[in-house]
Amino acid sequence: MNSLLKIAGALAVATALTIPALAQTTVVAPGQSTSGTYMDYMKTVYDRATFAELLQIPIATFDKEFELTPMAAESWSQSEDGLTWTFKLRPGLVWSDGVPLTATDYVFALQRAATSGYDFAWYWDFAGGIKGWKEVTEGTADVSTLGLKAVDDLTIEVTTVAPKPYLPSVTSLWYPVPKHKVDELGDDWAVNVDSIVSSGPFEIESWEKSNNSVVFTKSDTYTGPWQAQIDRLEIDPTLGAPEVGLPAFLAGDADYSFLNTGQVPVATQRYPDGIRKNAVFATSYISYDLDSAPFNDVNVRRAFYYAVDRNELTSTVLKDIAIPAGSILPPGYPGYNADIAAEAVFDPAKAKQFMADAGFPNGEGFPEIEIWYREEGGYNSAIVPPMAQYLQAEFKEVLGVTMNIRVLPGAEWMDGLRTKKNNIFIAPYEYDYLDPSNFYGIFYNGGRHGYHIPEYDALVAKADSESDWDTRFKLYGEAEQIMIEQGLIVPLVHPVTIAVISDQLGGDAAQPNALGFTPLDRLAHYFFTHLTKQ
Amino acid sequence: MIGYILRRLVSVAVTFIIVSLIIFFMMHAIPGGPFDANDMPVSQAVRDKMMANLGLDQPLWVQYTRYMWGVLHFDFGVPYQSPGETVTQLLSRAWVPSLVLGGLGVLIGAPLGILLGMAAALNRNTWIDYLASTVATLGLTIPVFVTSMLLILVFAVWLNWLPASGWGKPERWILPITAYALIPLATYARYTRSAMLDTLNKQFVTVLRAKGLSERRIVFQHVLRNSAIPLVTVFLPMFIGTATGSIFVEAMFRVPGLGAYFVSSIEGRDYPLEMALMLMITFMYCIAYLLSDIVYALINPRIRVGGEP
Repeated sequence: MNSLLKIAGALAVATALTIPALAQTTVVAPGQSTSGTYMDYMKTVYDRATFAELLQIPIATFDKEFELTPMAAESWSQSEDGLTWTFKLRPGLVWSDGVPLTATDYVFALQRAATSGYDFAWYWDFAGGIKGWKEVTEGTADVSTLGLKAVDDLTIEVTTVAPKPYLPSVTSLWYPVPKHKVDELGDDWAVNVDSIVSSGPFEIESWEKSNNSVVFTKSDTYTGPWQAQIDRLEIDPTLGAPEVGLPAFLAGDADYSFLNTGQVPVATQRYPDGIRKNAVFATSYISYDLDSAPFNDVNVRRAFYYAVDRNELTSTVLKDIAIPAGSILPPGYPGYNADIAAEAVFDPAKAKQFMADAGFPNGEGFPEIEIWYREEGGYNSAIVPPMAQYLQAEFKEVLGVTMNIRVLPGAEWMDGLRTKKNNIFIAPYEYDYLDPSNFYGIFYNGGRHGYHIPEYDALVAKADSESDWDTRFKLYGEAEQIMIEQGLIVPLVHPVTIAVISDQLGGDAAQPNALGFTPLDRLAHYFFTHLTKQ
Repeated sequence: MIGYILRRLVSVAVTFIIVSLIIFFMMHAIPGGPFDANDMPVSQAVRDKMMANLGLDQPLWVQYTRYMWGVLHFDFGVPYQSPGETVTQLLSRAWVPSLVLGGLGVLIGAPLGILLGMAAALNRNTWIDYLASTVATLGLTIPVFVTSMLLILVFAVWLNWLPASGWGKPERWILPITAYALIPLATYARYTRSAMLDTLNKQFVTVLRAKGLSERRIVFQHVLRNSAIPLVTVFLPMFIGTATGSIFVEAMFRVPGLGAYFVSSIEGRDYPLEMALMLMITFMYCIAYLLSDIVYALINPRIRVGGEP
């Protein structure tokens, strides 16, 4: 009996000693979309499962200062004619099932994307400019003609139609696809936790499809840069809405939460050290159908450009969850031109003059219009609806224009913009890669709006392939000047997100960058691998 | 009675077909497709490919016939938003939390509501009546997402007695069930009160009292039974409404239930899932009304089916 007690005592001590050693750090984070189809960024971007990209290693990615950092690639180089890029992969990378990760997996990812109806295919056309991309996606050329080649296991060669000086930053959205899994299971490799393999700093443990929440764990097999510093990561999209996220955060069920305008004062008072702001690289702007009256008249469009008091809009109605936008590019984004942004002033006299020049003095005879915006989740949900009402009042007061407001589900809104079912829209856009060509590309050659402005297209095409940064900067500036002169858009605001984080979170990812902003999960790879928890 | 039930079943089948046609064509009449909610428009070539992948390149009547042929074999297709499973698998997975929470909400809320309504009717114009009416009115008028928020604030954030949200452990069920139960509770309190008052004023109650029956027997055996018709009418539709999940309660308490799919299937143009959900609801309502009619006849023999005396 006595010895039994001793054994029991020893066991109890041993257990007590091992518990702290086994204690795992788990971070519970809000996600974005409560539905997701494939855990595969290269199959679908817009319908992907929660943070599918975090399971894979991109060629390169951005740190919190928005410096491009090599990930799967060790180095890259551009050929003399500027048309061919060579990426050298890091040796020793493997899939979580032990199969080596090779150049073929990257090349295969894009070959499949070009031929299978990838919803992000446009990106590899206008951003990547990959040779043959357009022809292959349209089915007029064979996939073998794509400008992509796995030279050997560790070398990828990419050929573009024109010099693309910013191609390395485009590769931040280039993830590998496990060819060996697709050969075995087809696209369905990415629908079940059992068959999903990863190449990045995290592996998948579970995926609750009803709300697209996932549990990731630190990978045992990942040998690349940026190892995870936490053991488990639970990402739950149902915590994404601040109305749900903050109560859960207060009750200790979440490690951080985004805040809506009403919550900011409360959270700031209770957690003065936990508030994190981020200027998202995104812009909301007014877009028109340029072909139909009244917006086919440049004077009308310019009148609207001068009729918005952005400072009043952001400081009163939006309570500083956005900053005024003078340019399509947000401040801090490469290519941002303060001189151009300064042109977007509130000038009621000028606005009235343009209206009169268009034949509508004080708005007389101007038809009633209806501005369309789409239902938004995330940061835009707090910004766009009040902004629409502000614009309604502002256009009435300054221009004498009666504007109604209509909110549409995303699909109908995009259908309206694409097929010109209405003539004025509020359009938000968030960057995809860090280069001015991204924002200018959405107006380029039909782009998002279905119009062609030849002078603009020519300047953007020239700038896109220009290797000298100063010349590029100048050319993009000239292109934006055309946008202003033609009144193509009215830049409105750039959103700012505000979050509150637990004092248990630490690491570089929890601290602001040089600009004073904390991008949090907007830079998922950096954030979740540079986060620690006590 | 059996003839009546058979006739009703035929009408259920007809309703089912008509509703399926209306839903299918309305669903496809909404502008946009499953791939339009993006930041950039999908090019025509890519769009064509996606549509072909899902069989959406076929004429509408072909799609309809194929789908309904599948339905006859209990095959509701594969949901676009969850390609790794069938619609049937998705429904049976997501319905469990909704059924547990909503079902318990009704089963707890309805009897409490009946008791509250009875207490109010029997103590008319006293503080009990006013209290019951206030609870019932508040329960019906305050939106469920506000009551949910209040419950979370009080019991999770301030008192720290219960988890704020989530699913899994039974202690996480308490707050959402309470939020769910308030609606049947309020509805039943109001219905019971007015139905009971109506019956209490009938002459036969005076006769019963004159006969010297105890008040308890009068209330439970005679008045309640005679007041039950409206309660039966309300019960099954309310049960369906609650047990198929509430998008608000489920969102506020982060319950992985069915509620959100009603919205996401329409927004995402998830045609197979949307059809399945609508057909399921139609079927349940048809059956619920059929059952209600049978129960009427059972609890009140004065109601005869088919207009026979």
